[in-house]
Amino acid sequence: MTGTATPAHGATKPVRIRRRVPARTPHQAAKAGGGRLGGPLAALPWALPAFALVGVLLVYPFFRSVYGSFFEDNGFTSSFTGLDNYARLADDPIFGRSVLNTLMWVAGTLLLPVLAGLLIAVATHRMRFGGVAQLIIVLPFAISGAATAVLWNFMLTSDGAVNQMLRGVGLDGWTQTWLLEWPQNTLAMIVASTWQATGLNVVLFAIGLRAIPRETVEAAELDGASGWRMFRHITLPGLRAVTVVVVGMAIVNSLKAFDMIWILTKGGPSRSSETLALSMYRETFRLFHVGYGSAIALVLSVIVVASSWMYLRRQMPDTGTGKS
Amino acid sequence: MGRAVRNLFVAGCVVLWLIPLYLLVVNALTPAAEYAGKPEWTVQGFDLWQNVRTAWDVAGIGDSFRASLLYAVVCGLVAVLVAAMAAFAVVVLPIPRPAFWFWLIYSGTLFPLQMFLAPLFGLYADADLYDTRLGLMLVYAAWAVPFAFFLIRNQMTTLSPELTEAALIDGASFGRIFWRIHVPLMKAGLGAAFIFQFTAVWNDLLLGITLSRSPDVQPVMAALTTLNNAYSSTGPPVILAGALIVSVPTLLLFLVFRGLFLRGITASAR
Repeated sequence: MTGTATPAHGATKPVRIRRRVPARTPHQAAKAGGGRLGGPLAALPWALPAFALVGVLLVYPFFRSVYGSFFEDNGFTSSFTGLDNYARLADDPIFGRSVLNTLMWVAGTLLLPVLAGLLIAVATHRMRFGGVAQLIIVLPFAISGAATAVLWNFMLTSDGAVNQMLRGVGLDGWTQTWLLEWPQNTLAMIVASTWQATGLNVVLFAIGLRAIPRETVEAAELDGASGWRMFRHITLPGLRAVTVVVVGMAIVNSLKAFDMIWILTKGGPSRSSETLALSMYRETFRLFHVGYGSAIALVLSVIVVASSWMYLRRQMPDTGTGKS
Repeated sequence: MGRAVRNLFVAGCVVLWLIPLYLLVVNALTPAAEYAGKPEWTVQGFDLWQNVRTAWDVAGIGDSFRASLLYAVVCGLVAVLVAAMAAFAVVVLPIPRPAFWFWLIYSGTLFPLQMFLAPLFGLYADADLYDTRLGLMLVYAAWAVPFAFFLIRNQMTTLSPELTEAALIDGASFGRIFWRIHVPLMKAGLGAAFIFQFTAVWNDLLLGITLSRSPDVQPVMAALTTLNNAYSSTGPPVILAGALIVSVPTLLLFLVFRGLFLRGITASAR
């Protein structure tokens, strides 16, 4: 299934090295003979459709949104108010709660799905029926966020399956009105999204585990390493590259979390479980505070971009961002 | 002790992950009229088709299903083609400042959707695109391009430059080089990107609820949300049957093209 020109799986090392040694890139190759074909501008038409779509429908609205955040705008009239929207953010208790919830989402979706993914991947590695177990845990990943949310809504309502289960095993005291009180509504939703997101991490870690050379493991075994020591000194370092990716993806996705919360609580009750992603939607499209909503969106964007930029800097040294 | 603990741990996880799926199926099977107001743990009859039909017709999931299928297929294909062309320009062709173009196009994935919503809504209202299929298709295509571009670009950098050089010396045009060399060689990568973007468009909720309203324009996740809000009148079996139907395409894609799916992820993970 691998394309003929793609190097075989074992050959990832030479590719890495090529980046450092000043060899020809495909780009330079075209330059050598490209003069005959009309020079640098001949390439523009190829990039133009992408630029037009992204430019008109994403980049322009982005800057329009930044601009709009300096206005008091209710959808009908707007007036320039400078940084007022941002000053209001600082005093808004709902914004504070929203930031707190967003932090809980980031922390929760970093800890739970990444740790669970790592543990399950290590436990199922080279195990009989390990593949089957992995497949079952990955299945929810193939289900959409909205469908997952609908299912968990059914599980978490006050007479839902979770409370039934707790009563069934005699833990009546643990039953909760899961979605009606803060902070357990946010925590419950983090658990629900863990159920969905862990599978992907299991798969990524499993790929990483398979890439650890057998000789390394065998050599460590000969030296008497096993169990925890093996995990600590061989497995974890071997998974470093994958971990960076998994964590990076988890940060970005948790900051953007919307479907689950919108369907399960709509940010309620009384906006207690809102995250930044939800606050923006409610302010803009329910309360028609368009400028204020844009300010929230910009704060969210700054956080997302800052974290993913730091992550990409490590991941993609060949795009020219890592050096400067 | 290691082995026993490990087996127990894995078995426990599998059970934990299966319980919600099991409840989903069992309660989607339960006849809506006989639903007792509490989740059923045993099969109470087989009324799946009736529940599916209710969700499909009465709640209007069917219309949205067709609309979403259109969006996901068309926008996935358009996005992959447009992204492959852009990747070709940035990686292979002598475009000035490839890093600038890369970041310009890739920036579309970095920002949260919320950042685009309010101006898009205004833009769409002005251009009469609000609540039209064309409008949603445009924004889905634009939204799918950046990540497809990222995946395809990463794979294209692994193709050897000699291929292009040889073709150039033979006098082939850029168009010929793209269609005869890069597209065939990248078939698997393009497929992975398509599956990824199909899934992303299919699963979108936020753009759908912001930019559309009518049932035959609304994407399927928005329709499922509407159905979920009408909880009391339809009952959980119908809602869960709806959740089952909307999961079928992505689930099938995942099970059939698992290899491609994972290659897509690992390509982005490198």
